[in-house]
Amino acid sequence: MKLAFTTKGTSWDSMMDPRFGRTEYILVYDDAKDELSHYDNRAIKNQAHGAGPQTAQKLFDLQPDILITGNGPGGNAASVLEKVGMKIYIGAGEMSVKEAFDAYKKGTLKEQEL
Amino acid sequence: MKEIVVISGKGGTGKTSIAASFSYLGGKDLVVADCDVDAADMHLLMQPDFNKTEDFYSGVLAKINPDKCTNCGACAKVCRFDAIPVINDQYIVEPLNCEGCGYCPRVCPVDAITMEDQNVGKWYISTTKVGSSMVHARLGIGAENSGKLVAQVKNEAKRIAKEDGKDIVLVDGSPGIGCPVVSSLSGSDFVVLVTEPTVSGLHDLKRVYQLVKKFNIRAGCIINKSDLNLKVSSEIENFLKEEKIMHISNLPYDETFTKAMINGQTIIEYNDSNLIPILIESWDKIKKIILNN
Repeated sequence: MKLAFTTKGTSWDSMMDPRFGRTEYILVYDDAKDELSHYDNRAIKNQAHGAGPQTAQKLFDLQPDILITGNGPGGNAASVLEKVGMKIYIGAGEMSVKEAFDAYKKGTLKEQEL
Repeated sequence: MKEIVVISGKGGTGKTSIAASFSYLGGKDLVVADCDVDAADMHLLMQPDFNKTEDFYSGVLAKINPDKCTNCGACAKVCRFDAIPVINDQYIVEPLNCEGCGYCPRVCPVDAITMEDQNVGKWYISTTKVGSSMVHARLGIGAENSGKLVAQVKNEAKRIAKEDGKDIVLVDGSPGIGCPVVSSLSGSDFVVLVTEPTVSGLHDLKRVYQLVKKFNIRAGCIINKSDLNLKVSSEIENFLKEEKIMHISNLPYDETFTKAMINGQTIIEYNDSNLIPILIESWDKIKKIILNN
């Protein structure tokens, strides 16, 4: 299973980025391989408009099963993510990536309905 | 650290006057971010010192190098925005019409066109008259606010709050429901909706609340000029009940609201305004909610 996180850095100790569209990085954890990889999203962060749908497009390419983030995507991004069919968990904006992963495993993050 | 965003959906509801009153009440305990960059007015009330200034770049504009250009007109032919007229026998990019799409440099046979970063305004870090830090921006003529600029202003305010150990970032959001508003809301903890009892006030409140709901952010509402139309006021109250939005307060119509503005003061500073106790109570309510969680 692949889990994606919106983050400010590239390690488990990095802080989560509460923003979806303008997140600095997307971290992907593949639990079958126990492998952590990252995607640098800072080019999208610097777009004047349309950051949400572009980040959503990136997630479409990465195809994670789960997304863990802060407030969740806005309307335009949500309509792209619907097509990916992944589950979205929100409310992890002020945590570290590790804490967010633990909170997800404990089931304390809220699931976002698209 | 918590972030409070003040938005209204509709313009002219008193959003900035109320946000400025809260930033006066919060004093040095908070960092202020003016994200209503299209019509930034908070500085008129908080009198920041424009201490640190930086250029803001957003988007790109085509530029033709006249030394390389052979005046073949290929660029003008493909431009969807009619942005490349001939002036004095030379093709020139009209910056107000150019959308920065990047089509023209692709078709130029002699590579005379480059896409250049556009300096669209400035952003500032200031100290306000009450001693708090304030991040704000000013756009050039024809430039538009963007999600990027709002994100930058907000991130800078958050960085300062973290560094200086402040508990609250207070954001004056932008009107409407577009990209800058989405960016104002993203990553925030509480939304103050400022509305007025008019048909468009209620309509725009409903519209912008759809957005707030999508982000799962808790919200409270202040009905400004609440006694001007009691019928619509009660319709707004019903909407708040239905949506379980906290009804923070009603501000009756009061001339001191405008008089304070004319003097460049927040309402709190204006002597004997009947609105002062209501605003103090409202701010206490908001603080209590967000700091207790």
